[in-house]
Amino acid sequence: MKVNQNGIYFSVPSKKFVNKKIKMDFSILFQNNLKMFLPEIFLATSILILTLHGSFIISSRHLGFPLIVRSVSKLSILILLLTVFLSNNNSINFMLTYQNTFMFDLLTFYVKEIILISVLLCVFIFENSIIRNQINNFEYFILLLSATLGLLLLVNSYDFLSLYLAIEMQSLCLYVLAGAKRNSSFSTDAGIKYFILGSFSSALLLFGISFIYGCTGTTNFDSLSLLLAQPDSTNTIFSLNSLIEKALLCIATAFLFKIAAAPFHMWSPDVYEGSPTSSTIFFAVVPKIALFAIFLRIFQSIFFIFEDVIVFALILFSMTSVIVGSFVALKQKKLKRLLAYSSISHVGYLLLAFASNSLEATVSLFFYLVIYMLTSISIWSIVLSLNTIENQKSPKTLIDLSAIAVTNPILGFSAMVAFFSLAGVPPLAGFLAKMKIFTAALGASLFFPSFVAILSSVISSYYYIRIVKTIYFEKNQRCFFIFPVSYSCALTTGISTFFLIFLFINPTLVLLITQKMALCLFLIKRCLS
Amino acid sequence: MPFFNKKMSFLIQEYLPILILFFVASGLACIILGASYLLGTQKPDTEKVSVYECGFNPYEDSRNKFDVRFYVIAIIFLVFDLEAMFLFPWAVSLGQITSMGFWTMMDFLLELVIGFIYAWNIGALEWE
Repeated sequence: MKVNQNGIYFSVPSKKFVNKKIKMDFSILFQNNLKMFLPEIFLATSILILTLHGSFIISSRHLGFPLIVRSVSKLSILILLLTVFLSNNNSINFMLTYQNTFMFDLLTFYVKEIILISVLLCVFIFENSIIRNQINNFEYFILLLSATLGLLLLVNSYDFLSLYLAIEMQSLCLYVLAGAKRNSSFSTDAGIKYFILGSFSSALLLFGISFIYGCTGTTNFDSLSLLLAQPDSTNTIFSLNSLIEKALLCIATAFLFKIAAAPFHMWSPDVYEGSPTSSTIFFAVVPKIALFAIFLRIFQSIFFIFEDVIVFALILFSMTSVIVGSFVALKQKKLKRLLAYSSISHVGYLLLAFASNSLEATVSLFFYLVIYMLTSISIWSIVLSLNTIENQKSPKTLIDLSAIAVTNPILGFSAMVAFFSLAGVPPLAGFLAKMKIFTAALGASLFFPSFVAILSSVISSYYYIRIVKTIYFEKNQRCFFIFPVSYSCALTTGISTFFLIFLFINPTLVLLITQKMALCLFLIKRCLS
Repeated sequence: MPFFNKKMSFLIQEYLPILILFFVASGLACIILGASYLLGTQKPDTEKVSVYECGFNPYEDSRNKFDVRFYVIAIIFLVFDLEAMFLFPWAVSLGQITSMGFWTMMDFLLELVIGFIYAWNIGALEWE
């Protein structure tokens, strides 16, 4: 028996076979790899079983072709809960698996936990909305779980090929989720728009990847980081420097498309508005953190010698996103569109932290992402609670928020807390996150971009404050009947409101976790350079 | 130009077989097509020379309604076509890839069969 570099035992053939081709037993070589993928394997198997279960039950004549959306949603909550437990049991800190195509470290561990918990909360709050929207396909949840699986694989991927496959897996599921309400032309329109623009951005990503493969001859992050770690003229890679820069710009463009940063944001308000509310919640809350984690890894710990170009592009797009997000949102009347533009401006702040490119900035980026996720969960569950008889068919506008502080004081208070946290008003977690980002940006001497971002943040606080004014002071002349707030929405809103206040007083736990996540990116960089 | 230097020509080493294949393939195609054009008897009519389009008239308004079941069948066909594409190299290299390779393909086939059962159950294969 002998040990290879990954610490895995493999058997060495005896002397008389030395001249023949050595046959390695792959099942021994890969035994630890399967252990690392336990949560993903569980999730994938559950998706398959759920597919069979659903298709047999809905086509069964003697059960009378039942609708099983409610039971499947409960089952998918159970599946996600068990996946959270499984991924929590992971004890290995760092490992490269499957010929270095996937990697595991603390960053992937925490990001996967956050993704799974946020998907869990999403499914928890939008169960009733799906039934009210008459999306009667149980496939909706299967696609949702597949998108989650794609996101988990995306976070782990350590090779451009696995990255591309994982991105395609999650985005194909998201295109279908956008068009899930088949009888609504808005939803179909959103699905097609998302599909066309999303596949265009995937094409850009592939274009960049092919350039990098052409220049370096490898798609593996491990090999690439070793290859680029020797910054002197003897390394022949550096004659191709400018080509790799262009390739990285293509990849960055694809990434900015996916997170809807400003010049590439045109799809996001239409898709948010057109797709059923449940899908909108998923788009708004879940995929951003996975995309940020993987692209931070690419730009900060693999291609960090090209950081000048990337930082310049990111600063530019950060400023445009902040400006577009805050100015265009001023005129929006529909709630979903408003939240879409608000998410664009928040992406701008995140990109500012990305461009600052220091440990402190990356910590603040992850902190902001976590707080933003919490706030959006709170806001969307409040949006789901605003159901009157009139607005069942039409899209929700700001008028639906009017005077909820009178009809339901606790809901009104939570909405106020959530919107103030988005605006960044002091005794709330949103303020802390924003402040950390601006201090990190000033620390990296990005004075003009942070000046622009702070000014736009002042402008954007106007429309958040206007919403709070609508909640508390608007007089509603009409008489309307409000459906009672569902148990799950009330619970989620309550918990996230508590955390939005609590994390301002004591953010230690989240800061510790984000510090660990950021260190994973920066340790590799320091070791190589 | 070091790239085309004959001594260290990476290009020639790697791509010469492809160049040979390209010439052989185009030569063979010319021979076969030319022989059937010259030697065969030809009686053209409208149906024979028109473009083949799966039972549709190729030249008509493109805004016609088009049954969604064609798409479903096409997607299912694509999946099984790709499956065959994976199965051939797998079958050839089965000797080298041991039990791990074998079970990986079995897993793939199992997932495909589950998809097939799903499509069957929800009635995607029915054409009345």
